[in-house]
Amino acid sequence: MGASDGAKYAYIVARVRAMKGKLIPRDMYPKFLNMEIPEITRFIGESEYKNDVDELGKKYRGTDLFEHALNQNLALTYRKLIDVSQNEANFLITEYLRSFDIWNIKTVLRGKFSGASEEEILEDVISAGQLRYRDLTEIVKIGTIEGVIAAFAKTPYYPALEGYKGVLADVENSLDKLYYSNLIKAASASGNKLFLKFLRTEIDLKNLKILFRMKRAGMERDEIIKMLIPGGMELKENDLGRLSAMSFSEFVRALEEFSYWKAISDISAELGSLIHIETRLDKYGLVYASSISYYYPLSILPVLDYILSKKIEVDNLRIIVRGKETNLPEDIIKAHLVM
Amino acid sequence: MDPTQAGMVAVGAGLAVGLAGIGAGLGEQAIGAAAVGAMAEDEKFFGKGLLMTVIPESIVIFGLVVALILLFVF
Repeated sequence: MGASDGAKYAYIVARVRAMKGKLIPRDMYPKFLNMEIPEITRFIGESEYKNDVDELGKKYRGTDLFEHALNQNLALTYRKLIDVSQNEANFLITEYLRSFDIWNIKTVLRGKFSGASEEEILEDVISAGQLRYRDLTEIVKIGTIEGVIAAFAKTPYYPALEGYKGVLADVENSLDKLYYSNLIKAASASGNKLFLKFLRTEIDLKNLKILFRMKRAGMERDEIIKMLIPGGMELKENDLGRLSAMSFSEFVRALEEFSYWKAISDISAELGSLIHIETRLDKYGLVYASSISYYYPLSILPVLDYILSKKIEVDNLRIIVRGKETNLPEDIIKAHLVM
Repeated sequence: MDPTQAGMVAVGAGLAVGLAGIGAGLGEQAIGAAAVGAMAEDEKFFGKGLLMTVIPESIVIFGLVVALILLFVF
């Protein structure tokens, strides 16, 4: 990496490092578990989420306020990253954050499929990608799924949507595959090998989650293969085919040959619980992102590390508040937290 | 000192300061960008950022010392 390569990332990296320093410290989460919802909301209202809580406080109350404030803050934070970055960093961040476009399209389709109201759908929209909130507000007004899909005709996501034949899972799966294949193309075009490495590890973790879920549900090999995303780092296509064909116990034993095993090996007795596995895999992703961002400090990796850390912070806060609202036992809430 | 020699010494002194200045500038471009980035998020980084940014300036001082030696000792 030459001096100018380093210089072009210096600004954005220093900025995200400073932003990461403002994230809620890990040791706060156990404290949140001992607090009541109003106390947590007050704490959040005095933190980095202050502006969002103040702004939305007139419109929402209680956990709804909390949820909206978190979503708005996440969207604004990610949008800020796009706004303050330049050149290659800007291109890669923009492409990576298209995952929120996929999330929003899925949210709208699921909402329409289940007959949710416009307000309910918009509650879960996070406009951190390229689809703007005002555009989504218009799309949500469309009554049918076919109409919604037609409204996305001019977006790059239409190829995954046009094959809709009444099964939402197929479209969602195509969207995920399209997102990752476009992202790999973008990473290859930019020649940024570090971004590609991060991405391919993320695909592996996503595939592992899919494999665990599908294996638990007792799905057949062909069904599982259709859901998996090609392009992983360690789990190549032949590995995925091999793992898909195994029984659950064989599959777990076969995972020992991959480096991801160390993330879940100590909970091998509880591998029947998807919550534990998914939390561990998320944590692995977080620790991986953080560690490689220190190996390559002047690269896109610290930015990706921040994007992941921020997302996990918001998810953790949401889990705590939603868990407390529904009176879930503390140990179940804790099991869902990525710390 | 004949005029050619004096001229060469002057060119050497100029190069010592000039090249050191370019080197310091190259070093400072990343540090300055990072310092501004950190300060944009938190004003408390002003002092540290300023200090880090001027550290490569020491190279220019070495260049200046060499230039002065060339001009006044030779």
